[in-house]
Amino acid sequence: MNNVWVLVIAAGAIYGCFCILMGVAPGMILSHTPPVAGLKPLTAAEARGRDVYVAEGCSYCHTQNVRPLVQDKVFGRPSVGGDYAYDTPQLLGTERTGPDLSNIGARQPSDVWQYIHLYDPRALVHESIMPRYTWLFQVRPSASAGEITVPLPPGYAPANGVVIATQQAQDLVAYLKSLKQLPLGTVK
Amino acid sequence: MSVSVELLRDNVEPEDVALFSTFTISATAWLLFSTAVGVLLSFKFPYPDWATNPALSFGRLRAIHTNDAFYGWASVALSGAALYVASRTSGIPVAGKRFAWGGLALFNIAAILGTITLDMGINNGDQEYREWVWWVTAVFLLAVIFTFTALLTTVAKRVEREIYISNWYTLGAFVFTILLGITAYIPVYQRGLGQVAVQAFYMHNAVGMWFTFLALGVTYYALPKLLNRPIYSYALGVLGFWTNLFFYPVIGAHHYEFTPLPWWFQTLAIVFSVGMLVPVWAGTGNFFLTMRWQWETVRRSYALPFIVVGVAYYFLGSTQGTVEALRSLQTIWHLTNYTVGHSHATMYGFITFIAWGAIYALLPRATGKRPPVLATGLHFWLATVGVTAYVVFLSVGGTEQGLAWAAGDPFIASVEAAAPYWAGRAVAGLFMFLAHVIFAYNVFMMTVGPSRESDRYERRPAPVQST
Ligand code: HEC
Ligand code: HEM
Repeated sequence: MNNVWVLVIAAGAIYGCFCILMGVAPGMILSHTPPVAGLKPLTAAEARGRDVYVAEGCSYCHTQNVRPLVQDKVFGRPSVGGDYAYDTPQLLGTERTGPDLSNIGARQPSDVWQYIHLYDPRALVHESIMPRYTWLFQVRPSASAGEITVPLPPGYAPANGVVIATQQAQDLVAYLKSLKQLPLGTVK
Repeated sequence: MSVSVELLRDNVEPEDVALFSTFTISATAWLLFSTAVGVLLSFKFPYPDWATNPALSFGRLRAIHTNDAFYGWASVALSGAALYVASRTSGIPVAGKRFAWGGLALFNIAAILGTITLDMGINNGDQEYREWVWWVTAVFLLAVIFTFTALLTTVAKRVEREIYISNWYTLGAFVFTILLGITAYIPVYQRGLGQVAVQAFYMHNAVGMWFTFLALGVTYYALPKLLNRPIYSYALGVLGFWTNLFFYPVIGAHHYEFTPLPWWFQTLAIVFSVGMLVPVWAGTGNFFLTMRWQWETVRRSYALPFIVVGVAYYFLGSTQGTVEALRSLQTIWHLTNYTVGHSHATMYGFITFIAWGAIYALLPRATGKRPPVLATGLHFWLATVGVTAYVVFLSVGGTEQGLAWAAGDPFIASVEAAAPYWAGRAVAGLFMFLAHVIFAYNVFMMTVGPSRESDRYERRPAPVQST
C-alpha cells in the first residue's frame, strides 16, 4: 500500500461501520426497552442518592445485575432489560468485590443498618474491606431536633459527640432502599 | 568495546529529539503518578481504614488510576514513539511539529483536568475508561487529532515509496480512536440497557483499537531495528492489521455475559473472541519468528527483553482473554479479581512493556545517551517479577472468590478467601512501583541527564529503511 489516504479512509470507513453496527444501533434499539410492569422512576431524593453512588464509585465494587446462575440466586431473580429502563447511567458493574445490590432494598430495608454500615462497615461485618464513608456524616456534640443520629456500637462511635447523617447520606440510603426487584408475573 | 547495531545513533534533527524526549518525560510522570495511586488502592484492601477521606477514597482513585495510566502514560508514551517511528520510516523529520507539540500539551491538560474532576467526584457515570466528563474527553480527543495530524503529514510527505507496516497500525489507531471517542460520548442512544451495549462496545475498543494498534505498530519497527534483520513476514503483519480490525470491534459484549443484553449478541462476542486468536497468533508468531535464533542478541540487549516479555504477555493475555470469554468458565471467573489480573497482564505485561521496549530501543538512538545498564536490568526484573506475581495472585485469588460463590458460602467468605492474595498483590505493586522510579531515572539519563563520554553513540548517517 502506498497511498496513505486510501489506507486511512478505508480503515476509517470500515471501523465507522462497526461503530454504527456494534455501538450506535444496539444502543438505539435497547434504549427503548420498556420498563418492567410497576417500575417507577426514582424520586428526587433517590435520584440524588444515586448521584452520590456514582460520585463515590460504589459500582467498582458492587454489581447491579443478577445472573441466571445458581450462585446468584441469593441476590434475587435474574435481571431483565426492563429493570434498567430508568437507569441512566447504567450501573451494572463488572466486578463483585462486594455483594450485588440489585435487590438490596428488600434484603436490607433497615435505615439504621445502612447508616451504621456506611459510617463503618466493620462495625457490622468485621471482615469487610468496604471503605468507610465518614464524610457523609457529621460528628457534633449533640443533635438538634429532626436530625438523624446513627447509633454506633461501642468501640466504633467517636469518643465524644454524636454521628449525624447528612442530607447526602439520607439520599444515598433512600436510593439503596429503592433497589427492589419487582416480581415478573405475567409480563416479561 | 564492540559496537553492536543497537549503539548506532540515528541522524535526527534536534527538535525531533526534543519532541520524543518530552513526550517520554511527560508520559513517565503520569506513569509514576497513576501507579502511586495504584499502590495506594492496593493497600486499601488489607487496610481499608487507611486514608479515609473523600479525595483519597477507593471509588474516586480507582478511576484516576485507570484513566491516568491509560491516557496520561500509555497513550502519550506510545504516541511519542509512533511519531518517531513515522519520521524514521518516512525518511523525513516529523512534519507538522506544531501539531505534535500542541497534542502533547492537550494530552496533559486533559489528564490534569480529568484527575481533578474525578477526585471531586465529577464523572461520566462510572463508565469504565470513559469516566472523564465529556469536556475533558473533548480535550483528549483534540490531542489525538493534533497528534494524528502530525503523524499523517509525516507519512504523507515521506520519501520512501511504501508505507511501512508500523504506520498502518499507528495511523489506524488514531483514526479508530477519534471515531470511537465520538461514538462513546453522544448520549442519545445511551439509556438504560442501551448504554450497557455502548459501554460493552466502548470498553474493549478503547484498549483494543488504541493501545493494541499503537503497541503493535511500534513493535513492528523497534524489533527488526534492534535485531538488525527484517520482520519475518510482512504479509502476516498486513493480515494482523485487517483481522484485528474485523474481530476486535465485536468482542466487547463479553464483559457483559449473563446480563439482559440479547443472548445472541453475547454469543456473537464470544465467537469473535475466539476469532481474535487469528490476529494475536499472527502478530506474536511474526514477532517470535523474527527473533528466532537471536537469543544471544536478546540477552545482551537492554531493550529487547522488554519486547520479549511484552510479546509473551500479548500472547498469554490475549489467549487467556479468549478462554475467559467462554461461558462455562465465565460462570466461575466473571466478576472476580481474575479479570483484574487479566487487565494487568494485558495493559501492563503487554502494553506497558512494549512502551518501555520502544523507549529503550529508540530514545537513545535519538538523544545519543544510553541508560545505565544496571538500572535498566533492575527495572526489567522488578517489573517482570512484580507483574507476574500480580497476575498470579489475582488469578488464584479470583478463582477462590468464584469457587466460594459457586459453593454457596456466605458472601463474606469470598472476601476472606481473596484477602491473602490482595495482600500479596499490594507487595507485588510495590515492586512494580519501584521499577517505575528506576525507569524515571533512566529516562532522565537518556534525555536531560549528563552525557557520559564512554556511552556516546557513534553518529552515522540514518540507515535506509528497507521494507
Ligand atoms: C472496595 C470495595 C467497596 C466499595 C468501593 C464499596 N463497597 Fe459496599 N461492600 C463491599 C464489601 C466487600 C461488602 C461485603 C461486606 C460488608 O457487608 O461490609 C460490601 C457490602 C455492602 C452492602 C451490604 C450488602 C449486603 O448484601 O449485605 C451495601 C448496602 C453496600 N456495600 C453499599 C455500598 C455503597 C452505597 C458504596 C458506595 C458509597 C459501597 N458499598 C462501596 C465493598 C465495597
Ligand atoms: C504499580 C503498578 C500498579 C498497581 C499496584 C495497580 C493496582 C491496581 C488496583 C488496586 C486496581 C483496582 C482493582 C480492583 O478494583 O479490584 C487496578 C485496576 C486497574 N489497573 Fe492497575 N495497577 C498498576 C499499574 C497499572 C498500569 C500501568 C495500568 C495500565 C497501563 C493499569 C491498568 C489498570 C486497569 C485497566 C484496571 C481496571 C481493572 C479491571 O476493571 O478489570 N494498572 N490496578
